[in-house]
Amino acid sequence: MVTKLFQYFVIILFFGFMSNNSSFAQKIDVKNYKMLYKFNTVKQYDNSRFFEVSFVANNKKDRKIKFPVYGADIKFINVVNDEEFLLGTVKTNKEGYARLILSENQTYYTDAEGYINFIARFESTEALKSIEKELAIKDVFLELDLIEIDSIKKVTLNAYTLDSLKTKIPLEEADVIFSVGGFISNLPIKETSIEDGKFEFEFPDDIPGDVEGNIDVFVSIEDHDDYGNVIQKKKVAWGTFQKLGKQPTLTLWSHYAPIWMYVVLTILLVGVWSNYIYSMINLFRIKKEGKILELESEN
Amino acid sequence: MDLEIRKRELAKEFYPMISKTTRGSKIWIGFLIAIILVGLVAFFLQIVKGHEITGMRDNVVWGIYIINFIFFVCLSYSGAFIAGILHFFKSPWKNSVSRIVEIITILSIMIGPIFILLCIGRLDRLHYLFIYSRIQSPIAWDVLAILTDLIGCLLYLFLTFIPDFAILRDNCENAPKWRRKLYKYLAIGYQDTKSQRDRLYKITKTMSVMIVAMAIITYTVLAWIFSLTLQPGWNSTIFAPYFIVAGIYSGIGVIIIAMFLIRKYYKLEHYIRKAHFIGAGIILLVMSLLYGYFTFSEYFARWFSHSTANHFLLDTLFGRYFWEFIFANYIGVLVPIVILFVKKFRTIKSITFAAVIAVLGLWLNRYLIVVPTLETPYIPIQDTRPEFIHYSSTWIEWALSFAGIAAFVLFFILLMKLIPIIPMSGIIDNEREHKRKQKEVTQNNRLW
Repeated sequence: MVTKLFQYFVIILFFGFMSNNSSFAQKIDVKNYKMLYKFNTVKQYDNSRFFEVSFVANNKKDRKIKFPVYGADIKFINVVNDEEFLLGTVKTNKEGYARLILSENQTYYTDAEGYINFIARFESTEALKSIEKELAIKDVFLELDLIEIDSIKKVTLNAYTLDSLKTKIPLEEADVIFSVGGFISNLPIKETSIEDGKFEFEFPDDIPGDVEGNIDVFVSIEDHDDYGNVIQKKKVAWGTFQKLGKQPTLTLWSHYAPIWMYVVLTILLVGVWSNYIYSMINLFRIKKEGKILELESEN
Repeated sequence: MDLEIRKRELAKEFYPMISKTTRGSKIWIGFLIAIILVGLVAFFLQIVKGHEITGMRDNVVWGIYIINFIFFVCLSYSGAFIAGILHFFKSPWKNSVSRIVEIITILSIMIGPIFILLCIGRLDRLHYLFIYSRIQSPIAWDVLAILTDLIGCLLYLFLTFIPDFAILRDNCENAPKWRRKLYKYLAIGYQDTKSQRDRLYKITKTMSVMIVAMAIITYTVLAWIFSLTLQPGWNSTIFAPYFIVAGIYSGIGVIIIAMFLIRKYYKLEHYIRKAHFIGAGIILLVMSLLYGYFTFSEYFARWFSHSTANHFLLDTLFGRYFWEFIFANYIGVLVPIVILFVKKFRTIKSITFAAVIAVLGLWLNRYLIVVPTLETPYIPIQDTRPEFIHYSSTWIEWALSFAGIAAFVLFFILLMKLIPIIPMSGIIDNEREHKRKQKEVTQNNRLW
């Protein structure tokens, strides 16, 4: 009996330890992991530039197992003719992202062909080897004009780059997307390809805006080989404010009760009270008959 | 002719019961009057000093007054329901319990609404309820329904009393003059002729149906006062049927207790038998099962709803009101079920005990419906005095509550001094029916 109890105790103890995660140490062997290192940059609508590096260790056998590399120093560098200019150093966060935003006033050096070369570099540590990624993009300017002429709302885009003499050079062959701001994501309204840096189209007149009719109109170039990611935005009061449909009203709190209520209450009350009156009339008849009988017996 | 003799016999049997007042009953009546007087003092103080001397505050605006109101109205409703059913279906138990039920019905509908008046801080503005009445408001429906129900119940009670008043008028020559005059007046010239009998039977039957319908409407409207609000613990679609089931449950309980006391005090073992208790006990068992089912559904849905307000309310119920909750929803349901389910336990005393537990449980259930909900509003209560958040009834409220109960018992006793608790006319009707059937059988035999 005691032996059995001991067996049960050991089994319970065993499963207890099994179910406790903290009782097993987990050690990650870096050899089993492939480092995923992505670098991207976006020129934002206020002409600031956003840099982002994603640094994640991915299990070679089971690709579903991923661990973000946390606290890694990422250096963002502008390179010109093998000369490096450090833009900034950022540590990766718990999700493995290192993000840097540089203002519009930041100067970038370009090569002879007008490309800005960026490097995002992770320098080797005891555990991890060094990694770096390069990007070469041209600095693109998107001029977005929203003009209403004779009740026709026109969206005009002028896309160009600047050469060393600050001369505007129209963009050649780039896919652009026009969209309007939404609650969760932007709603594309036009996707087109521009060849001479210019594009014009009529803005649809059925796009809902906010309560004041304002809409954020966006134009963007995404993942272009030469221009990278560029976004421009403008606010305009072209939205049709969508009034909500008729609000469901709590009728019982309205000034007057609904007709059906009067009808139902009247039927109920008339029904009940007429029965009471009917009973009373019958009681009077009983009384009357009683009086007659009383008179008869007296006589 | 022999029916007239039988009427005289019955009057001779029952009249001493209503005319004699023992020393014990005098003391008891005096005690009840004393309680009512204390209640009147409390009422006077409440009028002079305002609701400040009660436990009701800005947050918990309703206390035990409204619980008593619900309790008494539910008694009336269940009484009307049972009385109507007994009369309409000519139940064999009718004679033994119908008058008890009818008196409970009428007294509780008269006393119950007094408690709602006690909740009103400015009684001087009571007439505004009628002047500025909004037909959309459940409160207006409640006033209409209760007034209509009260008049209907009074009328029905009077209809069932008339034949007995007539028997007492014709057969109590030794009664004091005032009593004979009163019986003559109340009997409205009823001579028990066939046409009068048929007429009375017809309107009583219609009224029995009407008061059942009225009772359901009134109690539904009362439940709507709570459930049509969005308060946690009240906003429920099953509140009206839940109230109706709970009403019948407590109503049957009070009827059993009244049957027990009347049987014992007036020595009516011959009329109120064990079979009546077992029958009432079975109904109590069915109602306890139904009530338990509704209670479970109500709280389970709240628990499952994932709504913060409901969880907060349930935390309050299982925390601050733990024992009250256990008594109301576990003991108040399970004890009657156990007692009434086992045949061996079905004695008069144990059935009455089960009824007492059921009635106490139901009263507490009403308390748990009203007070914890008001203590857990949607908007958090901050920086306020504890007595504004938590309700604690004062002696004023208890004095008025006991005065209500005392008034109920006192009027019950006074009504029993006016008319026998066992309807003599019912016994006569039964015997008349029996003779008619015998006559039919004899005639048929002759024809054969």
